[in-house]
Amino acid sequence: MASDVRTQKDTVRPGETPLVPPSPPAPEELAATGEAAKGAPVVGIPGRTGAERTRAIVVYALLFGIALLYFVPFLWTLSTSLKTLPETAQFSLLPKHPSLDAYRDVFTQFNFKRYAANSLALATIVAVLNVFFCALAGYAFARLKFPGREVLFIAVLATLMVPDQLRLVPIFVKFTQWGLMGHYHAYVFVKLAAAAQLFLFRQYFMTIPKDLEEAAKLDGAGYFKTFWKVMLPLAGPAIAAVIILEFEGTWNDFFWPLVIFNAAPDHNTIPVGIFSFVSEHRTLWPQLTAGSVIAIAPIALLYVFFQRYFVAGVASAGVKG
Amino acid sequence: MTGEVDLAATTTAARTNETSIGGERWREALVGYAFIAVPMLVYAVLFFYPILYAVYISRYDWGVFGKIESRGWGNYSELAHDERFRIAIKNGLKFTVAFTILSMALGLFVAVVVNNALRFRGFFRSAYYFPSISGSAAITAIALYILSADGLFNKITGLNRAWFGESSTALWAIVGLNSWTTSGTVMLFYLAYLQAIPRDVYEAAAIDGAGAWRTFWKVTFPLLKPGHFFVSTLLVIGGLKMFDQAFIASGGTGGPNNSTLVPVLYLYRTAFADVKFGLAAAVGLTLMVLMLVLTLIQRFTFGRGESA
Amino acid sequence: MSRRSGFLAAMVALVVLAATVAGSSLGGGKQQDAASAASGTVVLSGWGASSDELKLLKAVIRGFEKTYPKIKVDYQPITGDYPATMLAKFSARKPPDVFYVNSDAFLDWASQGVLEPLDSYASKSHFSSKPFYAPLLNGFKYKGKTYGYPKDWSPLAMEVNTALAAKAKVVPSRIQTWAQLTAAAKKLKPVMPSGAKPICLSANWDRLLAFVYQNKGSFLNKAKTKATVNSPAAKAAADYYVGLIRQDLADIPAKLGVDWCGAALGKEKAAIIFEGNWLFPFMQSTFPDVKFSTQRMLKNKTYGNLGFTASYSMARDSDNKDAAWQLIRYLVGRPGMKTWTSKGLALPSRKDVKPVAGRQPFLADAAYAHPWEFAPQFSKVMDTANNELTAVIEGKESTSEMLKKVEDAANDALH
Repeated sequence: MASDVRTQKDTVRPGETPLVPPSPPAPEELAATGEAAKGAPVVGIPGRTGAERTRAIVVYALLFGIALLYFVPFLWTLSTSLKTLPETAQFSLLPKHPSLDAYRDVFTQFNFKRYAANSLALATIVAVLNVFFCALAGYAFARLKFPGREVLFIAVLATLMVPDQLRLVPIFVKFTQWGLMGHYHAYVFVKLAAAAQLFLFRQYFMTIPKDLEEAAKLDGAGYFKTFWKVMLPLAGPAIAAVIILEFEGTWNDFFWPLVIFNAAPDHNTIPVGIFSFVSEHRTLWPQLTAGSVIAIAPIALLYVFFQRYFVAGVASAGVKG
Repeated sequence: MTGEVDLAATTTAARTNETSIGGERWREALVGYAFIAVPMLVYAVLFFYPILYAVYISRYDWGVFGKIESRGWGNYSELAHDERFRIAIKNGLKFTVAFTILSMALGLFVAVVVNNALRFRGFFRSAYYFPSISGSAAITAIALYILSADGLFNKITGLNRAWFGESSTALWAIVGLNSWTTSGTVMLFYLAYLQAIPRDVYEAAAIDGAGAWRTFWKVTFPLLKPGHFFVSTLLVIGGLKMFDQAFIASGGTGGPNNSTLVPVLYLYRTAFADVKFGLAAAVGLTLMVLMLVLTLIQRFTFGRGESA
Repeated sequence: MSRRSGFLAAMVALVVLAATVAGSSLGGGKQQDAASAASGTVVLSGWGASSDELKLLKAVIRGFEKTYPKIKVDYQPITGDYPATMLAKFSARKPPDVFYVNSDAFLDWASQGVLEPLDSYASKSHFSSKPFYAPLLNGFKYKGKTYGYPKDWSPLAMEVNTALAAKAKVVPSRIQTWAQLTAAAKKLKPVMPSGAKPICLSANWDRLLAFVYQNKGSFLNKAKTKATVNSPAAKAAADYYVGLIRQDLADIPAKLGVDWCGAALGKEKAAIIFEGNWLFPFMQSTFPDVKFSTQRMLKNKTYGNLGFTASYSMARDSDNKDAAWQLIRYLVGRPGMKTWTSKGLALPSRKDVKPVAGRQPFLADAAYAHPWEFAPQFSKVMDTANNELTAVIEGKESTSEMLKKVEDAANDALH
């Protein structure tokens, strides 16, 4: 992603909509783009001619059609999770006697209580630690001067090019030698300081006017105090974005928990729990769908309320390949 | 560049012998290093060192308890002759090409539709992005349910295939699944690029009497070239790294008759099923080189549209 | 303190220290009266168990803990990918003390040195291996040493849905040969519900190989030095197996909308399947209303069957080997095995434990059951074999091509 490196070094000033990828601008910008877009539709003056009206009808029909297609799998999953196994053979839209049996099974018999606790704890810890370390380092890269700063920052971005599959074997071997496998802190270590979030904080801090720091310095505040008391409180949107992104990333992470917690299956997270379930009881549909709902619901809830922050990291989070 | 300017200022300050400012600069540098210490340590240990260590491991026969014996570059030549590796690469390329094209098409389509909406644009944009935030394990489980031989998909379309159970359809089922979940992300990118297109372009086209379809193909699509390039680069890299869905859908085996054996799954099996860590390290390095080569090829053939 | 007395004190201390160290190593290593001296916690692992199996296993463990009150058993089942999880634990040098070893993974694990040889423990406790069925016991020997004792076993049998059979006027006990199977399937075809097929056949050599043996074919020669799978006998068996699918009399689980043939029987997507003892707890708990009859596995030129077994083994890295041995001894001893097999979930691997009633179809084939075990590093060969079989079933290649490829892969692995 060398191209990204080049463009990302330029400060993206709020309000600008560059032709080159805007990745990743501060959250308000993407939200702002959305707002701006709302007021500037690509069609001509709306509703003026019959052709315009037909076009609008077509567009809305498509919109609803696509939305339906996109949500049917989730709704069907939810519906099935409330049924019993024999009932799934008939394809009724809604369960005739909705029951939470599948959820009960999943929590007790299939260990999801454990997995959910693990997922929640790890996602929270990783999110908080990422905020702290990435904000601190992002601030340093944005505002502090030290020799080799640019080179080191390139190194940070370079880590984005090292794929997980390359790191798998050496990390597995090394962690095994160090006796780390299966431990919670091994996983936290792997997810500790995401380069993308560091980048996000740096970009954000660069947009904050310098006078606030000058004022703090005149008041005699040390570097850390300036960071902690002045800059960090101003970084609300960035903090929210990082928390959301890292929480979601950890909650949904399948690869690293699979590798690290193989040696200690009790420490597994929900995604690996789903895999275990699929490999043994694939066709217990109500329980399978219940597990999926448990996996998706918390993130969906976060999404409903904090959607703009999910969108903020779109460019940095990359693509679900 | 700001960094260089500052370094110059630092040296100037030092030379003018203002010890208090020099001392301050020294302190600032120390604090700077301290602030970035933890992340840089993490990157050193977990990103850069592993590359070197992977090269080391790849030159050995490496088993459960550590290295067994040195093989020089033997692992790599074994890889070159391994039929399953070739199958994995082929599957990886097949998947990546199909996934990239389908995701782009779907994402662009949805972006254009959303962009044309006068009201509730934000609502629909959020709706279409939703599948992208559901985790890979959960969404694969849902797909296994809906695409099973007696599942909803077959019921609705009247088809009768075991989508994940047949070697001719398994990989394509994953293509469809991943394209659907990635289309939201692609949509967001294209929306940003669409909004960068100035309105007069459309007005000019309207004056010329071009209909919506022609306007799209002759005007909008070409103007989105930077978008196509950016999105396709991300998708190609993401596609080659696909693992979760293939692993879960095939139970870790690589699908009916190796049809879902994609490169990263091949690596995982070499490491954890065949217990050949040296060979697996070689696979990882080979894959990274492959991805770099592909990205470079992509940038040199299609990258001319991007503004430096 | 004067120099001399100081020196003396140091020497005394050294001697005492040396004696303690020597004494403890003598005392802690080979214990004469193992039963009373062994104590501590033993971690027991295995793959996930059905709730019936779990109850029985817990009963066995309770019996053990009563007999050896100083030893606590910590049962930690492993869900998901058992071999991969165990591998991770071996690598981390923190394996369970006692665990299952599937017969097809045994040679791999033994050759990698993760298992503890058990002969010395057995002889010290006067534990005799005579009651065990020889083929099963030999399956867990590597280079002449014993690394596990078979905990149970099961061959394949044929299970027929009685309701559908009655409807088609098929008598399950009269299906004994290949020809009779084909005839029965043809009679069943019209009465099968839509989307179902008379027979469920899995695209896996852990079923096909039984048919190969029934046709007097084999996979490896006795000395395990060469692959013998590419033979006319094996080809005929494969042709028959795939032929059933071609004639629309059978299909693979995926095509029937299930993930294994047991579920096909339960969901009535097939009327005839070939599964072992493990089918019973599954049917009882998941599909209790589907009635089926169990028949002896088929024969063609001869009877041929596969013996699936697993052992209880000890980890070389276990830190409580004596207690672990006591657990193994109990689990595969008469009382432990009696309890474990009392519900008929598996067959006992000891001659002195009688199986429950109704297992005659399985026992009848005991002499014809070839252990499901090949050679070290063979999992890749079986992967290839199964993939090729899938290809043949999907019409992408011929049985001769498949057999040639499997033979090549096997010879490669045997070097």
